[in-house]
Amino acid sequence: MSDSKKIIEPKLNFKKGSLHPINQVKDHIVNYFRSIGFAEISGPEIETEKYNFDMLNIKESHPARQMHDTFYVNNKAYVLRTHTSPVQIRGMLNNKPPISYVSSGKVYRKDDDATHLPMFHQIEGIYINKDVSFANLKSMIYEIITFIFGSDVDIRFRPSYFPFTEPSAEVDIKSKEGKWLEVLGCGIVNPIVLQNCNIDSNKFSGFAFGLGVERIAMLKYGINDIREFYKSNLDFLDQFK
Amino acid sequence: MKICESHLQRFIGQNSDIKTLSKQLFQLGHENEIIDDILDIEITPNRGDCLSLLGLARDLNVLYETNCDLPIYEGDIQDFNLDFKNISKTCCPSICFLNISINELPNDYIPEVESYFRDLNIKKNNFFTDISNYVAYEIGQPTHCYDANMINGSITLSEEKINQKFLSLLDQEICLNEPSLIFRDDKDIINLAGIIGGKKTSCTSQTKNVIVESAYFNPESIIGKSTKYNINSEAAHKFERGVDPLMQEKALRRFIYLVQQHAEIENLKLYKDIEEKFNPVELDVNVMKINKILGTDIKEKEYLNILSKLGFKIDQKITIPSYRFDIKHQNDLAEEVARTIGYDDIKPIKFKPYIQVSAEDVKEKKIKQFLTNNGFYEVINMPFTKSSTENSVVIDNPLDVNRTAFRSELVDSLVMNLDFNERHQKDSIKLFEISNVYTHKKGLTYEKKLALLVSGKQGHNYKEFSMKLDKKYLIDLFKQIDFNCESFIKSVSREKITSKNKNPIYVFEINFDQLTKEEIPWETIKLNQEMNFISYKETSEYPSITRDISFSIENLSNLEKIENRLLGYKNENLKDSFIFDFYNNEKDKVIKLGFRFIFQSNLKTLTDKEVDDQINNIINLVKGESGVSVPGLF
Repeated sequence: MSDSKKIIEPKLNFKKGSLHPINQVKDHIVNYFRSIGFAEISGPEIETEKYNFDMLNIKESHPARQMHDTFYVNNKAYVLRTHTSPVQIRGMLNNKPPISYVSSGKVYRKDDDATHLPMFHQIEGIYINKDVSFANLKSMIYEIITFIFGSDVDIRFRPSYFPFTEPSAEVDIKSKEGKWLEVLGCGIVNPIVLQNCNIDSNKFSGFAFGLGVERIAMLKYGINDIREFYKSNLDFLDQFK
Repeated sequence: MKICESHLQRFIGQNSDIKTLSKQLFQLGHENEIIDDILDIEITPNRGDCLSLLGLARDLNVLYETNCDLPIYEGDIQDFNLDFKNISKTCCPSICFLNISINELPNDYIPEVESYFRDLNIKKNNFFTDISNYVAYEIGQPTHCYDANMINGSITLSEEKINQKFLSLLDQEICLNEPSLIFRDDKDIINLAGIIGGKKTSCTSQTKNVIVESAYFNPESIIGKSTKYNINSEAAHKFERGVDPLMQEKALRRFIYLVQQHAEIENLKLYKDIEEKFNPVELDVNVMKINKILGTDIKEKEYLNILSKLGFKIDQKITIPSYRFDIKHQNDLAEEVARTIGYDDIKPIKFKPYIQVSAEDVKEKKIKQFLTNNGFYEVINMPFTKSSTENSVVIDNPLDVNRTAFRSELVDSLVMNLDFNERHQKDSIKLFEISNVYTHKKGLTYEKKLALLVSGKQGHNYKEFSMKLDKKYLIDLFKQIDFNCESFIKSVSREKITSKNKNPIYVFEINFDQLTKEEIPWETIKLNQEMNFISYKETSEYPSITRDISFSIENLSNLEKIENRLLGYKNENLKDSFIFDFYNNEKDKVIKLGFRFIFQSNLKTLTDKEVDDQINNIINLVKGESGVSVPGLF
């Protein structure tokens, strides 16, 4: 009976949909961090200046605090978070070291052109314990890069500046064409930030790192235009099954 | 910041090619690009001290023996009896004014000044302004030149909130409308402090008598103003990032020295209003701490040698030079050491991390899995909207008038997504989004929402093709997970949609936490968390062309072969193919199959002929098979 049924009916193809590629990449990386012992935490996208800037040692004079870089809301009562770092601040305030957290989500900058969007996604990790060094951070970064881009990729570290880490670094990988591409920022957590979170910086130290999800997704999938992610074009989304 | 390599070489005093210099600057944290013999350097915001040749040379001293002692005028200068009032000492703790006049304007500049304009392709203005610009390029301290004969009476510096127009020396009319630090004479505003001078007192090609102002402005009093007033100001860029608080008089003495190289000075007077106290930062000598921060084993001698070469004074303590206002604690010193030895030369050290566990949000993942299993596509939309209510979170500084508030629901965004896809000829649309939305009732509140939208055909197969996505579809779908969604479903009007499509649109939006509290059989939804990084292909902006062909198959055992052959046809312009109609005429023992082929090129609009050729290729795949026919063709 079932055999004859097979012969007289063509195959019935039910098309599956897809998760958004940004969320796929985000989950893929966050799952990795969870697997190596980082606890996932989250926080609000609309933040106070205190958590988004002050606690992170971003002074009034820092360009990021200007109206042309940050979205302010409800008569400057809040800001749209410019990074996921305030989540780490909340995590450090609520818990005592040792801590290892990863957080991810939407962040906002007042920017809208071919290479920048007013909203994008970040993943950040923080690790605080006794005697955590820059050399430990480098080891962690090598592991992250290997997980995302494979073991045969060239990596370089270069000095950079983030008010919440000191020393700070940006990490580049070499593309197949021999071009260096920036993939993440990282550094040793600035002792001022630890003190702001009531953590004894003489006893504890730590590192933090942050990745732009769109940047990683563009590199992994070979997408040149960041705006493609947010057109909700079914021809685009259908490719990420 | 653009500098010419040969200008920097004057400080280095030994030959080093531009590629080596570029690499070394990069190692020290100054990302740069070589454009012929120019280095375009991106100085990080904390290193305002490096926004000059002198600043970079001081940094490079750690790798070379650079000569950072520029000749200055060292003679005595008569007091300048200027009637100056500084009402904003907190914004400007140190300021000097130099009155200098010359007998004759020079025809040519000395080679180092001339090369600045020539090599960097910078337009000359007038003698004093040119010297001022060169001094800023060379040592990083901006100065401003007023034509001394155009100043009316006294000068006052104050922070004022005014509504007044100000004509800059570049003939730009600026409407001052927020608290700004300004210089006035007895008649008018003469300078937007630290940003740009005024037209009335600006120097001309005839000016021989000037007042040169050299000040330290607190970055907070300058920051953001040039962007606000749309002024491209090199001085503001430097003051915003901080200048050396002890450089003001020295800059003027360098100015005098350079003027002396060009003309005979007739008159020289100096007014000083300098903050007496400067307490340099002092830090402990603690190489153990540095090694602990970096995970290195650097010897104390090497550590002190590095800091000394960077201009730090080593004694019982480490005294930080006035221009390194970014150095506050041991971690800053660790960075100095790290960038000198090179970040890449610090060996990674593996460590056993502290393991922390957190509950995974499986329910959200399972809902997403359920929806994608049923043909839904997840979208992420920008959260900005122009429609706001009294409870909306309003953006104070929106990008434009269409993005003035934070959305408080997701459905409107999905309707826009539908419009886009219908205009791109999509006839089956199933979308969902999960996102936080924010409102401002009694304080700021947020909730996570799930919204979904359906419209058009249920699917691209012969069972679903003729069925519409409607309310019943959604109810039946969610029945699969024991959730009655009927009360949440709404029909959406097509009023605001530009697409000509007439299919009804159904949406539902629900508080996500409310959904997860429902008794959903979570265990029945299996998660697939495998990640495949596909090779993405660009989507086409050209229209697609659809062709339907009906096949009759008399030999039923041929069905699978015919189906595989037709659906297996590959061509770069064939975007999709499926069976949209199936009829089994059991009486006549004939099967009728309707195949749909959708063609689209990434390069152009396809012609009918190009599509017809493809269709012929497809038909030829089964032509000649016994019992297979295409009504009207064979």
